[in-house]
Amino acid sequence: MAQNQRPRSVLDTLGEEIVRIITPVSICMLLVVILVSILSSDPSSSSSVTSIATIAYSETSSDSSWDKFIGALLNALVFVAVVTVVTFILVLLFYLRCTKFLKIYMGFSAFIVLGFLGGEIALFLIEKFSFPVDCFTFLVLLYNFAVVGVFAVFISKMAIFVTQTYLVAIGMLVAYWFTLLPEWTTWVLLVAMALYDLAAVLLPVGPLRLLVELAMSRDEDIPALVYEARPVTHHDSGPRDGGVQRRLWRERRNDDSDLGDNMNTNSNLNSNSTVLAVGSGHNVTRLARAEEGQSAERDAELSAPLLDQRMNDHWHRQEEDASGESLLLEGIGLGSTGAIKLGLGDFIFYSVLVGRAAMYDFMTVYACYLAIIAGLGITLMLLAFYRKALPALPVSVMLGVLFYVLTRLLLEVFVVQCSLNLIMF
Amino acid sequence: MEESQSNNNNGNSIILSAPVWPTIDGPLGLTEEESLSYARRFFQYGFALLPLLWAVNCFYFWPVLRHSTSFPRIHRYVLGSAVGFAVFTIVLSSWALTFVIGGEHLFGSAWDKLVMYNVADRLGLTGWS
Repeated sequence: MAQNQRPRSVLDTLGEEIVRIITPVSICMLLVVILVSILSSDPSSSSSVTSIATIAYSETSSDSSWDKFIGALLNALVFVAVVTVVTFILVLLFYLRCTKFLKIYMGFSAFIVLGFLGGEIALFLIEKFSFPVDCFTFLVLLYNFAVVGVFAVFISKMAIFVTQTYLVAIGMLVAYWFTLLPEWTTWVLLVAMALYDLAAVLLPVGPLRLLVELAMSRDEDIPALVYEARPVTHHDSGPRDGGVQRRLWRERRNDDSDLGDNMNTNSNLNSNSTVLAVGSGHNVTRLARAEEGQSAERDAELSAPLLDQRMNDHWHRQEEDASGESLLLEGIGLGSTGAIKLGLGDFIFYSVLVGRAAMYDFMTVYACYLAIIAGLGITLMLLAFYRKALPALPVSVMLGVLFYVLTRLLLEVFVVQCSLNLIMF
Repeated sequence: MEESQSNNNNGNSIILSAPVWPTIDGPLGLTEEESLSYARRFFQYGFALLPLLWAVNCFYFWPVLRHSTSFPRIHRYVLGSAVGFAVFTIVLSSWALTFVIGGEHLFGSAWDKLVMYNVADRLGLTGWS
């Protein structure tokens, strides 16, 4: 077929990279929507969860809208304050090079989330469907699930698929937990976290920005829960020495890159890192940064700052010529473009938004899903454009909340009336 | 010629008859020396009632299982993991199926005490405490 002989254009690789990050985000959102629609009881009887996010005010259905809004605002402020403090502590620990402690803490929080949170949600499902499993089998399976998850997160060179699956699972579980918060609190919290992300990443005093700059200056990776997409390889590059590709992936590179402020973080010899970076001389990985999330009184889950970094010139070069010349460049530049990384906090908050939308109706789910994906696409484009660390939450969450409100106010009425009058739908 | 490389490797797969990479991630995965230590550690840790770790071991080193002659040292551990996983699965599933199908006939009152949703109710696990 002629298509195979045509050199891959920038659209192919770009598209594939974007798809490889949108797929797990979509899967996480889908799973949360499924969980929410299976497990949610009607709002009046739901018992709200007491946690850090609700200590200022617990919403009851009898309050007026204004009271609920003020209460939710207080809750959100408290939560953001806690997250800020924790992030600064993280920066401090990273500055003091307590990487081992951070990794252990990460593994521990992954165990708590997978074991306890996962166990509780599994119990909910078992009770809902009256699934006749006995306690020994259940405990063995849960124990396996949790321990292998800790391995996947802790060990830096686990199977990529297994690590990705477990990260999506962790994101899904924490997101489901967040959807149990009262409604107004959830929405205000989402907006507050989006604003916090914006501030923390872009302001010079922002903790996440400090973290990224620290990591860059030391040429280390941040020990954090970050989802990394598989790097896209170019199949038109022809046969190449296998060692070259491997060198790409795991070795520290100190070769000169023509990107000035370079995030040439090839993955390290630092075995503590679980953040994998694919890079090469001319290709630079893009890190996506997530933010810290703090969860309930029981567990504190660490989500990585959402980093992002620069793309390399490689992409631009590809537009001109994807054959021999770039082959050579690719040969030197080692052939694979950087992989996109997205922090787990973004997974979680996107899924919380969609999960909350699912508690109303599926119409809002579709609208919010499209809004979030559009926001993610915009963020990725901004990433390519600005070539620095960018927050992934603000655009998507703002679009998502906007679409939710618009759907609820305008679209729903329209659709329902059309259906009732048999015009369409 | 059979595709002997794993998913992500492109390039010299057609030419070589033996896989270069022992892991399923191909060039993104481990080298052979690291693979040996990983395979051995996964095999040993799996004895702590972790059949899933054995399964992950088999999944991760799938090319080793397929081409057993190329990586003899790793192959031992991966094969052991595969056997262990199969045995454990058979034992566990037979117990679980006995429990489900046998039900009250077989176990009598003990069934109600062992089934998970009752245990959860008794211990109050399903309320968010």
